[in-house]
Amino acid sequence: MLDVYENQAFGLLGLNGAGKTTILKVILGFIHPDAGTVRILNGKIADQSVRNQIGYLSELPYFSRQHTGRELLEYFGALHGLGGKTLKSRVDEVLELVRMTKPAKDKVSGYSKGMLQRIGIGQALIGKPRLLICDEPMSGLDPVGYKEMRDIFLDLKKTGTTLFLNTHILDEVERVCDRIGIIHEGVLKDVAPISKVLGSSLPVDYWIDVDKSEASKLSQLPFRESIHKNGGVQIPGLVLNETLALLNSRGAKVLGVRPLSSVVEAYFLNAIGKPIDSFASHRGES
Amino acid sequence: MKRVLTVAVFTFRELIRSNILIVWVCSVIGICGLSYLLSILSYGDALKIFTDLGLAGAELAGWMVLLLSLAVSYNTEMDQKAIFLQLAKPVSRGEYLLGRVFGFFTMNLLVILGTVAVLVFMVLVVNGSMPSYFWSSVFFMVLEMLVLTFLGLTYQMIATSMVRVVLYTFFTIILGRLIDEIQWLLEKQHAPILKFILTLVYYCLPNLDLFNLKDRIYDPTLVLGWTQWQEVLIYTFAYSAVVFIIGWISLEKREFR
Repeated sequence: MLDVYENQAFGLLGLNGAGKTTILKVILGFIHPDAGTVRILNGKIADQSVRNQIGYLSELPYFSRQHTGRELLEYFGALHGLGGKTLKSRVDEVLELVRMTKPAKDKVSGYSKGMLQRIGIGQALIGKPRLLICDEPMSGLDPVGYKEMRDIFLDLKKTGTTLFLNTHILDEVERVCDRIGIIHEGVLKDVAPISKVLGSSLPVDYWIDVDKSEASKLSQLPFRESIHKNGGVQIPGLVLNETLALLNSRGAKVLGVRPLSSVVEAYFLNAIGKPIDSFASHRGES
Repeated sequence: MKRVLTVAVFTFRELIRSNILIVWVCSVIGICGLSYLLSILSYGDALKIFTDLGLAGAELAGWMVLLLSLAVSYNTEMDQKAIFLQLAKPVSRGEYLLGRVFGFFTMNLLVILGTVAVLVFMVLVVNGSMPSYFWSSVFFMVLEMLVLTFLGLTYQMIATSMVRVVLYTFFTIILGRLIDEIQWLLEKQHAPILKFILTLVYYCLPNLDLFNLKDRIYDPTLVLGWTQWQEVLIYTFAYSAVVFIIGWISLEKREFR
């Protein structure tokens, strides 16, 4: 059973084809489940009163190309039962929120992928949803758009909106979500609070850069995963301190240390049965 | 009802801003040119030529715009999945379908009435007057378009590709016009399986001949009484209602993967 609690952000993680979008489509009533039921906001998705409290953003949303951004938001707002001045002011508010006020008068046929994504999130927010469901919301966004979208999510969390994010961007999950679920090959493998994930002692690999002239000293390290000829070594996180001390004792100048994966990534890979060690040979250049 | 209207306005705006109307403009120009040419050759029968060609052209333009609208709409709504975001909103699938039908129908109404307006203008230019039953035949044409719009949108809810929707609608128009011939075949048929198939086809297809008044407006024996009006109106709304219910059920059952 998968529970998503009110006023929290839930992130559903999974590889491509794991079944994340299928779960969303079942929740939204686009696909009928083979077994089981979905209860949402104390009701069923078929109830219009329930759908009135939900915002949904599909992956790479598509709109009729003949309308302007404003007209689209007015249309979706009207479907939520808004009208007159209330609709107009809500549309202005949402356009401001998604930074689309200026291009809103243009037809969406001229919009970039990122702008379409912003209008997409705008239509999802137009009805002031209690629950916002997003399928890969960061798709097609540039780094600035990515940050803005994340800020929108964090602001929505503050206002008490429940978020259900389908994603494979682990950084987004780490910064926004309170709980995560991991799905693999159609099976829900794990559900955990993000605090538990971040506090887990799973191995994370690190990359240590040393001066090129001292690259030969790296080959003598006992726990190395891979070595770069220009002076870099990948080591498991568990032996990070030990390795740094060893390099120091041998007089090697350490230029920098950086993690090669996040704890969330390690947790995720572990949950789907592909622990981080099995990926180690693919990282760095030997 | 407010949501139905919202969907209808959105659909109409989508269709009218697309390039579909170019087809209509081309049709009108073609009809005008052909009517003028034939009226010169017809030695005194110009009015009949104008009305015959004009009404046929209005109907043809309506069919073409319907087929193109269905193709464009299927691509946007189903292939590109624009329907997803709409069905996630608090609008029932029945409201959505009805709104789409009204949006399409308004577009077709505009095309038919626009063509008829050009026709009336041309008739006035040659100092003619409209034959009796002219407006009745236009009204029947509009009713026919209503039935076909319901059918086309229902096909859109059932079919799995744009080509199929267009083909189903196209063949419905053709066979619907041949309903008398199908009935004749049915009466001549003795093989039980063929008879059953023909009976099925006969009752499922819309009887478009019922709406074809335009071919008879110069028939001096034509009398259109209240009974015929009742028959046509009841048929239109009953057939449309049944088709709408089928479309609604199909949309409710349809999965969007």
